[in-house]
Amino acid sequence: MLNFEDVEERDGVRLSWNVWPSSRIEATRTVVPISALYTPLKVREDLPPVLYEPVACKPPCRAILNPYCQIDIRGKLWICPFCLSRNAFPPHYKDISNTNLPAELLPKYTTIEYTLSRPAQVPPIFLFVVDTCLDEEDLKALRDAIVVSLSLIPPYALVGLITYGTMTQVHEIGYPECSKSYVFRGGKEYQPKQIQEMLGLSSQSRAAPRPGQPLPQQAFGAARFLMPVSQCEFQLTSILESLTRDPWPVANDKRALRCTGGALNVAVGLLETAFPNTGARIMLFAGGAATEGPGMVVSNELKEPIRSHHDIERDSAKHYKRAIKFYEGLARRVSNNGHVVDLFAGCLDQVGLQEMKSLPNSTNGVIVLSDSFATSIFKQSFLRLFNKDDQGHLTMGFNATFDVQTTKELKVSGMIGHGISAGKKSPCVGETEIGIGQTSAWKINTISPRTATGVYFEVVTPAGQPLQQGSRGLIQFVTHYQHSSGQMRLRVTTIARNFAEAGSPSIPASFDQEAAAVLMARIAVFKAEIDDSPDVLRWLDRMLIRLCQKFADYRKEDPTSFRLTDNFSIYPQFMFHLRRSQFLQVFNNSPDETAFYRHVVNEEDVNNSLIMIQPTLMSYTFDTPPQPVLLDSVSIKHDVILLLDTFFHILIFHGELVAQWRKQGYQEQEGYENFKELLELPVADAQDLLVDRFPIPRYIVCDQGGSQARFLLSKLNPSTTHMSASMYGSGPGAGTGQAIFTDDVSLQVFMEHLKRLAVGAQTN
Amino acid sequence: QAYYGGGGEAILDPGYLAGQADSTWGSAALYAWQTHAAPGVAQPQYYAPTTEPEYINQPGYGQQQPATYGQPVDNLANQFGGMGIAGQKGFQLYTTNLLTSPPDPRDLQIPPPEIRLPPNSCISPSPTANSDPSYQRCTLNAIPTASSLLGKAKIPLALILTPYRSLKEGDEPVPVITDTVIARCRRCRTYINPYVQFIDGGNRWRCCMCNMTNEVPQLFDWDQVRNQPGDRWARAELNHSVVEFVAPTEYMVRPPQPAVYIFLIDVSNTAVQSGMVATATRTIKENLDRIPDEDGRTKVAIICFDTSLYFFSLPQGTTEASMLVVSDIDDVFLPKPNDLLVNLAEARESMENLLDKIGNMFQENSIIGSALGPALQAGFKLMSPIGGKIMVLSSSLPSAGAGGLLQAAVPFYKTFAIECSRAQVSVDMFLFSSAYQDVATLACLPHYTSGQTYYYPAFNAGRAEDAIKFAHEFGEVLAMPIMLEAVMRVRASRGLRMSSFHGNFFVRSTDLLAMPAVPLDQSYAIEIQIEETINTPFVVFQTAVLHTTCYGERRIRVVTMALPTTSSLSEVFASADQVAIATFFANKAVERSLTHKLEDARDLVQKSLIDILIAYKTSMTSGGAGASAQLAISENLKMLPVLTLGLLKNVGVRQSTQIPPDLRAYAQALLTSLPSQLLIPYLYPTFYSLHNMPPEAGEIGEHGVILPPPLPLTSERLERHGLYLIEDGQTMFLWVGRDAVPQLVADVFDLPSYDALRGGKTTLRKIREMRRGPYYPHLYIVKEDGEPPLRLWALSALIQDRADVLPSYQQFISTLKEKVSST
Ligand SMILES: [Zn+2]
Ligand SMILES: [Zn+2]
Repeated sequence: MLNFEDVEERDGVRLSWNVWPSSRIEATRTVVPISALYTPLKVREDLPPVLYEPVACKPPCRAILNPYCQIDIRGKLWICPFCLSRNAFPPHYKDISNTNLPAELLPKYTTIEYTLSRPAQVPPIFLFVVDTCLDEEDLKALRDAIVVSLSLIPPYALVGLITYGTMTQVHEIGYPECSKSYVFRGGKEYQPKQIQEMLGLSSQSRAAPRPGQPLPQQAFGAARFLMPVSQCEFQLTSILESLTRDPWPVANDKRALRCTGGALNVAVGLLETAFPNTGARIMLFAGGAATEGPGMVVSNELKEPIRSHHDIERDSAKHYKRAIKFYEGLARRVSNNGHVVDLFAGCLDQVGLQEMKSLPNSTNGVIVLSDSFATSIFKQSFLRLFNKDDQGHLTMGFNATFDVQTTKELKVSGMIGHGISAGKKSPCVGETEIGIGQTSAWKINTISPRTATGVYFEVVTPAGQPLQQGSRGLIQFVTHYQHSSGQMRLRVTTIARNFAEAGSPSIPASFDQEAAAVLMARIAVFKAEIDDSPDVLRWLDRMLIRLCQKFADYRKEDPTSFRLTDNFSIYPQFMFHLRRSQFLQVFNNSPDETAFYRHVVNEEDVNNSLIMIQPTLMSYTFDTPPQPVLLDSVSIKHDVILLLDTFFHILIFHGELVAQWRKQGYQEQEGYENFKELLELPVADAQDLLVDRFPIPRYIVCDQGGSQARFLLSKLNPSTTHMSASMYGSGPGAGTGQAIFTDDVSLQVFMEHLKRLAVGAQTN
Repeated sequence: QAYYGGGGEAILDPGYLAGQADSTWGSAALYAWQTHAAPGVAQPQYYAPTTEPEYINQPGYGQQQPATYGQPVDNLANQFGGMGIAGQKGFQLYTTNLLTSPPDPRDLQIPPPEIRLPPNSCISPSPTANSDPSYQRCTLNAIPTASSLLGKAKIPLALILTPYRSLKEGDEPVPVITDTVIARCRRCRTYINPYVQFIDGGNRWRCCMCNMTNEVPQLFDWDQVRNQPGDRWARAELNHSVVEFVAPTEYMVRPPQPAVYIFLIDVSNTAVQSGMVATATRTIKENLDRIPDEDGRTKVAIICFDTSLYFFSLPQGTTEASMLVVSDIDDVFLPKPNDLLVNLAEARESMENLLDKIGNMFQENSIIGSALGPALQAGFKLMSPIGGKIMVLSSSLPSAGAGGLLQAAVPFYKTFAIECSRAQVSVDMFLFSSAYQDVATLACLPHYTSGQTYYYPAFNAGRAEDAIKFAHEFGEVLAMPIMLEAVMRVRASRGLRMSSFHGNFFVRSTDLLAMPAVPLDQSYAIEIQIEETINTPFVVFQTAVLHTTCYGERRIRVVTMALPTTSSLSEVFASADQVAIATFFANKAVERSLTHKLEDARDLVQKSLIDILIAYKTSMTSGGAGASAQLAISENLKMLPVLTLGLLKNVGVRQSTQIPPDLRAYAQALLTSLPSQLLIPYLYPTFYSLHNMPPEAGEIGEHGVILPPPLPLTSERLERHGLYLIEDGQTMFLWVGRDAVPQLVADVFDLPSYDALRGGKTTLRKIREMRRGPYYPHLYIVKEDGEPPLRLWALSALIQDRADVLPSYQQFISTLKEKVSST
């Protein structure tokens, strides 16, 4: 039996099934598709530096040599397990022997990373797109944060600055005479060619250089706008420091004119002209919604409220469809060029993430939502993006492509994660489409060690013939990216799993319910983006019921006989919480928040995703060590402190009594050291949770009965509701927990229904 | 009074006098004629001071000067002497035979026929009560009582006006009435003036235009300064032809606006390479102190352009400008709501910094092309809330965006001009291209917005004389006071109607002329129709210019002119003002050339002249119709044929395929905007012999530099050992005969001999400019045996000579005679 987490440690991959059904029909019956959550840049301290080119199979296969290849030492040949071609080793492998194998053939290097000989031509590029319709304090905080980031960005990286408000300004950083910027009308959608001409990136209508004088390159070309940090840090800092608020007057009944879409369009235009197919990030800082020009989200009339989910559903959001179309168009251009858009929102209200989400979603940019740029959520999250590894390199990679290779029984259905199809119609591409399909490669324009892609497969067996017993399927993940040092790198992970015949117990035994829950959650969220949420919930329910029907132990029509084995047992609970989660329930969330939550869940690995689906709850009280408790209203007690981690929020909740004592100041008094310690412990634990988190979660400390406690209550299983007494009688722990005002069904009721439906009993 | 006007033209620059002492005769003479050469600089020379007509006898105003030169003065004085004393006796007609009396340039300095009003027409004994010709003159100083009479004379009836004429040191400023008591006729809105009549014990006044009886305003006789009864008869508007009222709020649509100057500087490769940008920015910087800003409200902005627009933001509290580039020229917008147009005084330091830097900023600019239209739109956007003056400095044919002239017939400039006029925006064009720039189209903007076009073909700052000329003229324009948001209307006595208008303005509604920013010394011509028989012994013309001064005061400048009426054809002829008529012809010719062909323009002018001659011959000579041995005209019109010939030979009108269209268009712009004082030498250049001047020439006489006599414009006067000056206010030629004696060459040029002398454009250190108006003519040294093109050019100024198809004066007169005889 595999230890899923060990495999994850080594190869960065978690599979829903680790033994695969050997026929298409059986594979369908297992309900949860064969799928993998793969973290291409999983941090591996132990990977050897491989400073040579990988050996690849002949085209069109191009699979990379790996430990699962059959090799013929004497013939200096290897057989590609994916296409079964025989390939000669390259000449410099002539000394290969059983005791002298290159790293990529060693069993322990199923994951390996090559440093390719040809470095990137252009260093990483960071283009800041800064909103100036901010109040002074916010603008200052934002300026300061960007100035700090300049010290974190590698000195050779290129940086640029675009500011926007009523208009868009592209700053020419290195201009010696004075501060200089190119101004674009905010209300207008410029074509790429226009942007190129207006920035003087084309050499039209210029005088020929005087004889013997070369055209001063500096005078035009994009180098004026994007310069190495080491050369422009001073100028850029002073430009940033002298940035002032958008000067155009704003009437009392108006919003500021903010041409966010126009600014992005210019940023995209600048990069796509000057640096196509290189690693570049456009970092957008938005202090409010676009109110002007292309991509406008809401008009500048304050009397027009910004759209809600309700408006969008009713199709009464005036600018919605046009904005979506505009940003999707931009997103296509950005992602095709290998560039990234990050969205940093610093606003109490929505900024139009819902409309703009296609940009980070298709380029794997980050989204950070904060109430203002003066918050630590923003500052820390932003600066955390520039985290460095031991060698001092940024942990982010650029302009990545992600390629999946399978043996012939397995086909790729699609990928769910932040990227776009690279349009590779290889033989590995299957008919079924899940997520971004019809390709076996995707562009993921930036990757970080957190990036986890969900890849979905289907089993194909010719003419329905099951596979030979004992046969094995292989998946190879190949990630090509630009390392922040300028090297080009190739990360290769090759995994092999056995096929088993229908009914074999090894199949259910190989079920990774955590990975499966996360991979199913991604499908659900993907569907939710397209379909109405009730349809998605019904689909989730159906899948859950079918899974239980297939793998639970029960007697027909006898719900009490229903049992799930350990490795399925908590899966329904995940589904219960997933149904209630902000990913699928948009009620109480703004469209921007929904866009944000859905973006993050499509990014993170299994553990983090599970926290989002089913938050963790720790209970702290006297005399017992802190312990995880049920995410249930029964866990609320007067004398405990609870620590809730929803991934997005970290909340410390003081029970009534604890709060009372604290208010009376016992923690300061002698003899109450243990109380003081009790108060401090969850705070320290919360700090630990914050360390690796991105974005920085919202940190809330609240008391039982306080208004902030609603964040906790909304996550708890409502086993005790204001209705419980009359409808369901006393649930477990009634009287000790806190009643929650909700019409939601509790987990207990959910499970009862599930059992009945699974066993085919009547429901009431 | 000569056509130069009483105009109080300063004669001398004190600095010049200082440098005069050690001059040799040659250089002294140069100073002298240079001074004189400046059209309008010179003082009246010829008419007898003893016969000073009373109406010009205003201290300091008319600068009455005794004749400073030669004998002819006395002759002329005698000739005209009788007229002056004749009072209202009427005009005496003297007939001259053109065939036997060749043109004498000195005649051009004779004042127009005297205005003799019936007794008691004027309530003021003041000599300034009637208009000085430099402000306003009429082609006829006696108005026919019926249009039929005018039709017999064939002389066009027109006013020539320069209401905003410059004042120089010593000139009496226009009197200002500050008490805002403005008496106007209830019916015709005429301003009270020296030609009204007080009735009813002085409680009411009768309008001189429409006879309406009006109440005298309550405060009219109250001295508001001393707060005591005042002396009505001392009020300026009853004693002066030209006065200025401070306007009360009723005359304001909005509070008086500050003066605004926006510079649009071409920074394309061509402009930078020619040195224009550097010269322009340096000149602006050096003249910042001279830009009118008495009230500290003047605003300025700079926008540079090539195929993009470069704005400069000058925020308060900083001394560094920031540059904002707008390349979206199809849809011009302002990149910022503030700090682009700044208060000159407050932003002085940053403005100077910026002007210092612009040259460097665009030093390497390799962009070719000009988005002049978009730059204008940008300047307009920036300025339109206030109005003011846009100064365009452009070195290339507009090629990009609106108003690109690569395609022909772009209506942009005309439409845009009208928009400008509505928003009180005036445009001045400074044009520098070495290639075709379409001056004709570009000049439309100044034309309709009361601006002015200045042209420096093939400007190259590497040549000092180019840089000096432009810097001087540009500096003068910058320093010039301007009338802002002005409207002008001319009223006249019943029976007279202003029928058509010539000059730089936009006719807003029938007779209201809109002039967003009126420069000094711009001239206009207005044709007058006699609509009904006039029964009054005299008529009045009153020009009122409502405007804002460039220091923020709303004012009305009123120029009143009274002329006697006559029913005698001979008086009509005897009262004709040949200078005014020639000025009118120039306007008419250009107008015709724009609507018709150039040839039609020439035909029109020539025909007008012939018609006058025929009319004269038929009605004023015994010969009547048919052949005659003479070609008769009245003495006061005897220079009209040669002035007409000068017009026909002027670059703006001349028959030739060799004249670049831009030069022609520029000449036409001058022909329609120069006041008579500048226009006459432009048509009939001044020609002096310098090597044989009378001994006193060049010396300082009692009334300024004594000038040599002007010569008729014919090469017969050129001697091989001579040195001559020919100048028309735009260009000066120093003609050096091939046998010029070394001493002369040495004195004038600091060179050993004629052979060492180089022809061409030059600056002579000894020559200093003291002219009035902004123009700083180029000086060319022309060697008698020098480069043929330059020689030909210089000789083309001698318009009495034949040149190619263009007739000599003799030929011209013969043709005229033929045509006259054949009727
Ligand atoms: Zn292969
Ligand atoms: Zn009247």
